[in-house]
Amino acid sequence: MLSVEALKIRYGEVEAVRRVDLTVGSGEIIALVGANGAGKSSTLGAVAGLVPAASGKVVFDGVDITGLAPEAIARKGVALVPEGRRIFASLTVADNLRLGGAVHQPAAEARLREEEMLELFPILRRYHRVKGGNLSGGEQQMLAIARALMGKPRMILLDEPSLGLAPQLIDTVFDLIAELRRKGLTILLVEQNVALALEIADRAVVLANGEVVLAGTAKELASSDLVRQAYLGA
Amino acid sequence: MIAQQIINAVSLGGVYALLALGLAIVFSIVGLINFAHGELMTLSGYALLASLVLGFPFPVAVLVAVSCGALAAVAMERIAFRPMRGASVTSLLLTSFAVSSLLKVVFQNGISARPQAVAMPGWMTGAFSFGDFTIGVGPSISIVVSALALIALEVFLRRSVTGTAMRAAAEDFDVVRLMGIPASRIIATAFLLSGLLAGLAAILWVAQRASVDPLMGFTPVLKAFIAAVVGGLGSLPGAVAGGFLLGIIEVLLQATLPGAIAPYRDAIVLSGVIAVLLVRPQGLIPAVRAQRS
Amino acid sequence: MPSLYRLHRAALCAAVFGIAAISTASAEEIIIGAATAQTGGLAPYDQPALAGLRMSLDELNAKGGLGGKYTVKLLIKDTRSDTAQTATVAQELIDAGAKIMITPCDADPSISAGQLTQPLGIPTLTLCGSAPVLTGAVGDVMFGTYPADNVQATAVADFAVSEGKKKVFLLTSPDSTYTANLPEYFGKVFEKKGGAIVGRGTFSMGQPDFSAEITNIKGLADKPDLIMTAAYEPDFPAFIQQLRGAGVTIPVYGADAIGTPTIKALGKLVDGVVYTAAGYAEPGSKLEAFNAAFTKYAGHAPESTYEVNGYEIGLILDQAVKTAGSDDPKAIRDAIAGLKDFEGITGKITYAGTDRMPLRPVALMRYEGGEGKHVQTLIPDAADVPAP
Ligand SMILES: Nc1ncnc2c1ncn2[C@@H]1O[C@H](COP(=O)(O)OP(=O)(O)OP(=O)(O)O)[C@@H](O)[C@H]1O
Ligand SMILES: [Mg+2]
Repeated sequence: MLSVEALKIRYGEVEAVRRVDLTVGSGEIIALVGANGAGKSSTLGAVAGLVPAASGKVVFDGVDITGLAPEAIARKGVALVPEGRRIFASLTVADNLRLGGAVHQPAAEARLREEEMLELFPILRRYHRVKGGNLSGGEQQMLAIARALMGKPRMILLDEPSLGLAPQLIDTVFDLIAELRRKGLTILLVEQNVALALEIADRAVVLANGEVVLAGTAKELASSDLVRQAYLGA
Repeated sequence: MIAQQIINAVSLGGVYALLALGLAIVFSIVGLINFAHGELMTLSGYALLASLVLGFPFPVAVLVAVSCGALAAVAMERIAFRPMRGASVTSLLLTSFAVSSLLKVVFQNGISARPQAVAMPGWMTGAFSFGDFTIGVGPSISIVVSALALIALEVFLRRSVTGTAMRAAAEDFDVVRLMGIPASRIIATAFLLSGLLAGLAAILWVAQRASVDPLMGFTPVLKAFIAAVVGGLGSLPGAVAGGFLLGIIEVLLQATLPGAIAPYRDAIVLSGVIAVLLVRPQGLIPAVRAQRS
Repeated sequence: MPSLYRLHRAALCAAVFGIAAISTASAEEIIIGAATAQTGGLAPYDQPALAGLRMSLDELNAKGGLGGKYTVKLLIKDTRSDTAQTATVAQELIDAGAKIMITPCDADPSISAGQLTQPLGIPTLTLCGSAPVLTGAVGDVMFGTYPADNVQATAVADFAVSEGKKKVFLLTSPDSTYTANLPEYFGKVFEKKGGAIVGRGTFSMGQPDFSAEITNIKGLADKPDLIMTAAYEPDFPAFIQQLRGAGVTIPVYGADAIGTPTIKALGKLVDGVVYTAAGYAEPGSKLEAFNAAFTKYAGHAPESTYEVNGYEIGLILDQAVKTAGSDDPKAIRDAIAGLKDFEGITGKITYAGTDRMPLRPVALMRYEGGEGKHVQTLIPDAADVPAP
C-alpha cells in the first residue's frame, strides 16, 4: 500500500535521513524503531508531506505522492498522528474532532463518524466541551488519534503514541491499535517502546543514523542479537 | 459630559478594534504584520467615493466599498505575499512596506495627491437628543457597526469549519493541513476577513472624516498596530481589547489634558503602551501558540 | 496634480541639467529652482501655485524672458512635503545654478530652504507660505507672496466683529506655524475689538478623532458663537463632520487653506464657513481674465487663488529683474524688496516698508450651497494687524 524508496531528507546541511526503504502492505502494522534522532519522525513527516524529501520516492496506492502538499496527501487517506500529539489546545474536544473530519465527508456523515469516535473513546464524550489544552497527556493522545481517524483514513502513521503515558494507559493505546488493525486499517508505527512494538507489529524496520540497519518480521527482529542488545535491554 | 466621553471612547475604540483585528487575523495565520492594511482602507474609501459619484444609493456604495477592500486583500495576498510564502518575517514585513508605498504612489498619481471630499448622507450628521444629552448619529453608527462586525466574526470563527480551522491554524498550521484542510484556503480567508474589516473600518473612518486621501491609511494602520501589540500580537480577543483600550486612553487624554501638555498626547499614549508591555510582555490577552518539540 | 511623468522629469532635470546647467547657463538664461511638494500633505497647495508660476514663466519666456532678457529655466524637485527633504533638494537646486529659489506653501520647509539661500544672497519666495514669522526667521532674502496669516486673521476678525460675534472658541494645532498661530492672531484682534475668547482646544494634524474636543466645546459654560481654526484638509473636513455630527451648529471660520475644491465639495456640511482668498474674480476683473487664460493653459479651471498667486510671483520676478537690469541675485532681491503698489492680477502688491510679507488685499469668502460666495475684499488697517 505504501512504499518508501531511497528516501533522503536534509535540514539545511544536516542529513537527517540518508536512505530509507520500506513498504507497508494493506492491513499490516509495520513498526519503525530506532534511537533518538535516528530519523523516524522525519520519515513519517516525509510520507505525510510535512517534510520535503531531498531525493527518493513515496508511493501510496501506486501513486507517487512525493512532494504533494500535506493536505493533498491527507485527502488520499493517509493520516499522521504527530509526535507530541499537537492537539489544538485552545479548541474544544468537539472542535478538534470536527476539524479532523471536515473535508473528507459530508457534514452529516462527519457527525456519525464523530459518534463512532465517542463510542471508541468514551473519555472524549465526557470532555466534549472542554478545551483540548485542559486534557491530561493520555486524554490528549486519545484525542489526537480520534482526530486522525475522523477523516476515515486508510492508513495511519502513529508517531510515538505511548510517549509519556503511564503503563496502564500504554496498554490501552496498544489495545486500541490492535483493534484498529482488526478493522482493516494499515498502520505505520514509530515507537521507543520496542518490545511492545514488536509484540503488535507484523514486520519492523530498524533505523540508525538515518539508515535502515535491519528489517524483517517482528519475530525475527525480536530474536535478533542486535535488537535484543540495543533496544530490548537483554 | 462623562457619559458623552464614554460614548466617544467606545466609538473610537470600536474602529480601532476592527482595524487591529484585521492585522491580527493575518498575523495569527501567516506571521505577517501587513502594513499595507491601511491602503486597503484607502482603497475602500476611494471605492465608496467613486460609487457615490456614480450615483449609487448609499447602501450599495457601502457594499461596493467593503467588497473592494475584501477583494483587494485577497488579490494582495495572491500577488505580493503568496510568492513570499515561507520567507522570513523580515522579508514579509518589507514586502508589506513595499506594497504599502507602491499603493500610496498609485493613489497619488492615479487619483490625486489632494484629499477628495466624500459627501456622507445628511442623516449621518444628525444627532439624537435625550433631554440634555445628545448623541451623534455618526458615533452611534460606529458603535453599532463595530459591535455587529465583532459578533459576526466571533460567530464565524466559532461555528463554521473554516473559522474553526483558522483558530486552529493560528496555533499549529501544519496540523491543520494534516487534517486535509488546504493552506491556501485558510490564508485566503484570513486576508478576505482582514479586507472586510478594513473596508468596514474605512466606511466608519470616512464617515467621520468626510474625505479620503492617498495617505489616509497611515494613521489607522499605526493605531491598529499599537492596539494589536498591546492586546497581544496574533491574539484576536487581544486585538479587540487593545483597540478599545487605545480608544479610551486617547479620548481620555484629549478630554482632560491641559492645552500646554496637549502636544505630548501621542507620546503619553505610547508611554502607556510601553508600560502595559512592561507589565505584560505578551500583551493583555496573549495568543495561544503550540510549543513545538 | 503630480504625475509619475513629472516626477521622472524632475529626476531627469536633476540628472541631466543639474551638471549641465552651470556650463550652459548663458547670459540670456536664468535658472529658477523650485523646491516644491509633488507628493504628501503640501502637494495640494504647492501644485496649483506652481501651475500658476509655470504659466507666467511660459508667457514671459515667449516674450524674451524675465525683464525681456533672461530666458527662464525652471528646475523642479519634489520635497515630498518633508522639511529635511526640502533642504536636500534646495541644495541640489543651488548646485545646479539656481539664482532664484521657490519654496513650498509652508513656513517650516521654506525656512529650511531659506537657511541655505540666505548666505548666498539668493532671493527666495514661498509659493503660498503665509506665516509672518517666516521672513524674519530666515533673513533678507526670504519673501512671502501670499497675504500673511496675521493679515488674513485680522480681516476675518474685522468681519466677525462687524457681524456682531462676541465669543470665540479657538481651535489650534501646535504641529505647524499656520495652524498654531493664525487663530491666535484672530483672537488678539477679536479681543481688542471687544470680543472674548471663551475657550481653546488643540488637535494633532492627522488626528482621527475630534470627539473629545467637540464634547469639550459642547460642555463650555460660556457658549461660543464662533469657532475659529486654521485646520485644513484632511483635518478640517474631519472636524466639521464630527462637529455637525455631534449636533453642534456653531459657525466655523477659517482662512485661506480651506479655500479648496475638496472643502467646497463637502457641500452642505460647510455651509456658512467663512474663509479667505488672495482675490476674487469679479466680472470684468483682471482675475476673471486670468482664470479664463489659466483654464486654457492648464485644461482645467483654477482650483483656488493659489494659481493666480503663483502667476503673480512670475510677474513680481519679471518686474524685479527689469528694475535690477541684471540677473544678479542680490540686485533682484533689492528690487523685490523695493516694490511698491505693483499692479498684480488681484490688486496692488507692496513690499517696500514691510518685513518682506506683502501688503495686499484679502478677499473674504463664504461657502453657500456648495459654492464659494464673495463677501467682501479689504486691506486691513496696518495698525490692527498683530505683530508676528
Ligand atoms: N526541523 C529540523 N531542523 C533541523 N534538524 C532537524 C529537524 N527535525 C529533525 N532534525 C534532526 O534530524 C535528525 C532526525 O530527527 P527525527 O526527529 O526524525 O528523529 P527521531 O528518530 O524521530 O528521534 P526521536 O526518537 O527523538 O523522536 C535529528 O538529528 C534531528 O536533530
Ligand atoms: Mg521522533
